[in-house]
Amino acid sequence: MLKGVHQKLEPQQTPAFFVRGASPFSRMVFFCALSITMMAIDARLNYLSQIRQGFIAALHPLEMVANAPSNWVRDINRYFSVHNQLVQENYALKQQAFEHRVRLQRLSTIEAENTHLRSLLNGDIPIQPKAILGEISHTGRDPFSLVVVVNRGSQHNVKAGQAVADSKGVIGQITRVFPFSSEVTLITDKELSIPIQIERNQLRAIAFGEGNNTLDIPYLPANVDIKVGDKLVTSGIDGIYPAGLAVAKVTKILQNPESPFAKIISTPVAEVSNHLQLLILELPQAKESVPTTKPVEVKNKPVIEKKSADTSADTSSNSSAQPSSQTATPKNKAKPNAPN
Amino acid sequence: MRPISLVAVIITLLIALICQLFPWVGQGVILRPDFMLVVILYWLLRAPNLCNVGTAWIAGILVDLATGSLLGQHALSFTLTAYIGLSYQRRLVLFNPWQLAGYVFGLLIFERLLMLFLKLFEGNDYPGWTYFLPVFSGLILWQLMILMFGALTRPKTR
Repeated sequence: MLKGVHQKLEPQQTPAFFVRGASPFSRMVFFCALSITMMAIDARLNYLSQIRQGFIAALHPLEMVANAPSNWVRDINRYFSVHNQLVQENYALKQQAFEHRVRLQRLSTIEAENTHLRSLLNGDIPIQPKAILGEISHTGRDPFSLVVVVNRGSQHNVKAGQAVADSKGVIGQITRVFPFSSEVTLITDKELSIPIQIERNQLRAIAFGEGNNTLDIPYLPANVDIKVGDKLVTSGIDGIYPAGLAVAKVTKILQNPESPFAKIISTPVAEVSNHLQLLILELPQAKESVPTTKPVEVKNKPVIEKKSADTSADTSSNSSAQPSSQTATPKNKAKPNAPN
Repeated sequence: MRPISLVAVIITLLIALICQLFPWVGQGVILRPDFMLVVILYWLLRAPNLCNVGTAWIAGILVDLATGSLLGQHALSFTLTAYIGLSYQRRLVLFNPWQLAGYVFGLLIFERLLMLFLKLFEGNDYPGWTYFLPVFSGLILWQLMILMFGALTRPKTR
């Protein structure tokens, strides 16, 4: 009898004051292991990009809710913008359009002449890249990476790897594409490099982002012919950026007597923070297709192609000063002070 | 302390996620608090029966997906912070408001340091001391949560 009561009571004897399921420690260990595994998978393999894309698409309504207040403010501001200001702006724009039209006339003749000359020399006719107009919807939410998010995605035929520019110059490259938006990594991001040419003397080099709104041109000898104020333009040999787009202006040259290389710092000419509209340029069709599923690969692409172009066609001694083994792996970019 | 419904937890987390998605510009990007972390910490310390380390992990994954950082970074730092927060949870009733604020300050600093460590490990540069400003805005948000949903400490009876 007594034993029976004891047996009935037995299940209640476990203390039920604080029911918490598994102990916090075991949960912590489990979830830490899970997150470390996910980090490893995300960093090394590309299985999770699909999940990410799906999630971003699902998040789109929430994002619209979050964006609504600032959009309202903008619309209200637009609505109440003063008449006088609009008239002035209209006048200025008309003047600008007129100037551009005059310049365009000259451009078309020069272009025709150029194609004609190229056909005489049996050269390739340069392709005019098409572009999609996009608008910056917000800057990146991660303070560590320099990205902006634009409101054009895979629904608008945007592909990873496309170059992005504004009216002043190159902004960056599309690195991630979501259904209704895509992520543009700025050229100043540490992960990105861009093949450039000095406009004044056609010297070719690669500029690397430094992560703090400047670009660095490493591996150039200390006596290289670059001056402060030189314009850097895209060289176009990577197959991603069309040739001749403005990239940056050299702002500082540091000479370090201990290093055989010059430290050349330049600032981008594009004004990402000043306006919203930008152009997403189409990838040139002549080159082989760029893998769209691997943004990291796309980032590496310009450098690898630059290397092959260097070895095949480069005869000038200046730009061959770049150690090719290092340019091939921009992930572990060596600083100019540390030659291999 | 009045009882908390699960609906309140879910709704506040959703609002925190929207705040995280809000397009911050200029100084706002530097100053903005870690909405998800503060909200999850509040519920974790207030109602551990509704919110546990697993919830913190899910919140971290959501933040990872929203910010586009490496999947699992925020999840890891949120999980560890939640665990440390929970380990003293039952003693918090005895704290006075200042001590509690200090405790939360410590937790937020810990999360920032952990995140910084993970980011440096990934190959990023140290972003400067402004990186720690969200800790202070987070404390303000914490006080806001207390105003809205009640204090964790025992009310004065005298």
